[in-house]
Amino acid sequence: MTTLRSVTRELFERMRDESVDVDAEFVVAPSSLDETAAVLGAAAAAAIPVAFYGGGTHQGYGGASQADLIVTSTRLNRIIDWQPDDLTVTVEAGVPIAELESEIAARRQTAVLPETAHGATIGGVIAAGLSGYRRLRYGPTRDRVLQVQIATGYGKVVSGGSPVVKSSTGYGLPRLFTGSLGSLGMIGTVTLKLWSQPLATATVEIDHAAAALRETYRPLAALETSDGSFLYLAGAESQVTSQSYSLGGTPRPGLIWPGPIMNPIRIELRVPAPFVRAAIEQAKRLGAARWIAEHGVGRVEAGLDSVDEATLVVARTWAESVDGALVVTADADIGLDPWGTPPASIEIQQRIKNAFDPAGICNRGIMPGDM
Amino acid sequence: MHTHPIDRVIYAKDSSISSGDPEIVVLPETTAEVAAVMRIATAEGMPVVARGAGTGLAGGAVPPPGSMLVVLTRMNEIVEVDEIGQSAWVGPGLINLDLSAALEDRGLHFAPDPASQQSSTIGGNVGTNAGGPHCLAEGSTIAHILGVEIVTANGDVMVLGGAAPDLPGYDLRGLIVGSEGTLGIVTRVLVRLTENPPDDVTMLISFVDIADAARAVSGIISSGLVPAALEMMDGPMIEAVENFVHAGLPVGSGAVLLAEVVGHPNGIATEAELIREIAGSNNASEIRTASDTDERALLWKGRKSAFGAVAQAAPDYYLNDTVVPRTRFVEVLNEIYAIADRYDLRLLNVFHAGDGNFHPLVSYDASESGMTDKVVAASHEMVQAAISAGGTLSGEHGIGIEKHHLMPLVFSADDLDAQARVREAFDPSDLLNPGKVLPEGSRCFDRPTT
Repeated sequence: MTTLRSVTRELFERMRDESVDVDAEFVVAPSSLDETAAVLGAAAAAAIPVAFYGGGTHQGYGGASQADLIVTSTRLNRIIDWQPDDLTVTVEAGVPIAELESEIAARRQTAVLPETAHGATIGGVIAAGLSGYRRLRYGPTRDRVLQVQIATGYGKVVSGGSPVVKSSTGYGLPRLFTGSLGSLGMIGTVTLKLWSQPLATATVEIDHAAAALRETYRPLAALETSDGSFLYLAGAESQVTSQSYSLGGTPRPGLIWPGPIMNPIRIELRVPAPFVRAAIEQAKRLGAARWIAEHGVGRVEAGLDSVDEATLVVARTWAESVDGALVVTADADIGLDPWGTPPASIEIQQRIKNAFDPAGICNRGIMPGDM
Repeated sequence: MHTHPIDRVIYAKDSSISSGDPEIVVLPETTAEVAAVMRIATAEGMPVVARGAGTGLAGGAVPPPGSMLVVLTRMNEIVEVDEIGQSAWVGPGLINLDLSAALEDRGLHFAPDPASQQSSTIGGNVGTNAGGPHCLAEGSTIAHILGVEIVTANGDVMVLGGAAPDLPGYDLRGLIVGSEGTLGIVTRVLVRLTENPPDDVTMLISFVDIADAARAVSGIISSGLVPAALEMMDGPMIEAVENFVHAGLPVGSGAVLLAEVVGHPNGIATEAELIREIAGSNNASEIRTASDTDERALLWKGRKSAFGAVAQAAPDYYLNDTVVPRTRFVEVLNEIYAIADRYDLRLLNVFHAGDGNFHPLVSYDASESGMTDKVVAASHEMVQAAISAGGTLSGEHGIGIEKHHLMPLVFSADDLDAQARVREAFDPSDLLNPGKVLPEGSRCFDRPTT
């Protein structure tokens, strides 16, 4: 094993990444998927635990994972193929989402990526399974991930899905990889379905988000936050004007999103949409300093400055009792259980983990059930 | 349980050109019954094939000899509707259109609308990740399935996914949809429901030249509009459909586009006008706007009767389901016509044009000697043409037994091996619909290593 490790060290030295400030024995930035697969193959052979690093915005999400090797997406940073007339784009994992959105905005298109995840990369967003607030109208990010190429934990490049907007061709590997938090390998390239930006948009402050959502035909988002409630409208100019008027609020042109929650402890209550109000009450009981609730979606994100673990358990028990979950997305290193009760399908989940990461080196422990 | 030869013959086929021979046909009424038969099959080492209404076009529900066919049509109840959360738990045997009809007075519907929606089941839609005209704006079945209850290969019952967003763990729900009964048997489905639009405009746009119609489609998509549906039929199909349903289609045109925009009345007026402008600038010869719901229904009837019309015109037809990038539409279309000419075959086309989803349909008589082989060979070339243009094998019908040998055209050996790993994780003994979706030898270690 020692010899293997020294050979591996040589390989890794050639790809050293000095740009990322993380603490690990090796930090490497492969410049292609094939190189990434070679790195993971070598790491698997030498049993070196690996973690992945994109924009660094969501490090710490999921279970704690100890890694000697950090593979970064710093050099996987190209927008490979944007086809505006097909509404598709193929990008490498390391492209910052802000860069992609700004590039495609030139043709008034959007990848509907999270609106306020500043600094996050495409690979990070897909791996973490993050969706933006416009999910209410356009569906979650995973519905737009058409094709994914990953370097697996067994050191092969695997492509899943199809590069076109509609497919029933084989298993939905892009959905498996979306939200897999780097536990199956490293995402290298993704093809995303795009939407055209609406002709007009407006943000309307309202009294009751749930009621306003019921009265309005398919807005972009209906948020209830610790700083007020807002409905986000989109469509033709005359439609947006008339919808704002019926809501009785004062419209502001454009989409004004709440700033990201930055408190040291952050949780998400993920519940069926009818339970959003109840989830907000749970967040308040936890002493949330800030919270953002997505009506019609069922996600309540809350920021806390400190947490009482017993109260957290109560909130989690409640969320699970309504077939939801309480996920701790940042815990300021106090070691909270990020996931709660593992899913009923845990055995199949474990077999999938083993199938893609037989050496158990990829972000070990990050998924529920300590996978 | 049915073992009579007649029952076995009735259930030996779906709507593809393949057929099988089940040893036993069972029609369970509950999840517990499905789990019980699954445990028996596992103990006996008997392959198990799930079936809904048998409208599949790729042979996904064709039972191999010696298999147990689990027909789920009796599990057709609407278990629970959550009007506020816009979701419902339903049985897999529920017919697609019956669900939307039952929700009509609540102002909700199930968005996927395959042409077979009067007879195909929700479970079957899940199995093939079915599409339909309205998937252009709403996405295929996968975007409308929040959760599934499955019976696993060893007879366990579990729920994958649910009404809450992003539940912890891998998205196994997303793997089940489109897996054609190879990962588990779906015994209940949590569907996402969609609000009925307050208003709609449906237009029938005729073109002398099909290339102009295709350019109009590209123009509409790249203008930033996403119509609710954007369907196309070519000249031969228009004629066949008109002879069959008399919907007043413009016989003699090179192509028609059926375009529908839905939503807020103010919004769709603007969108419909934009579509008319783009059509006009691409030499549309006539633009007809449905003036009421009857006329709208008539226009749609024309589109949805396409396969019935073809069945009337010739005894057999073979249908492809490729998808190409929309920018390559005209080019691939020309190639497909050239292939049909070269083989001297009668070709009719319906397209989900907005998605780039082709359904070139060869109408023929299988009793003519060598005809089926010729049709399959021509179809194979059409698939090749689509894939060379950056497309894929199937947009909404699935792979089943009829296209699995073509999977290496779109996936490498490592890609197929990864898919086989997923399958093995769900079904280590390979008893669930064996021989479907993945070609034999997909799992790398299956191959001889000499």
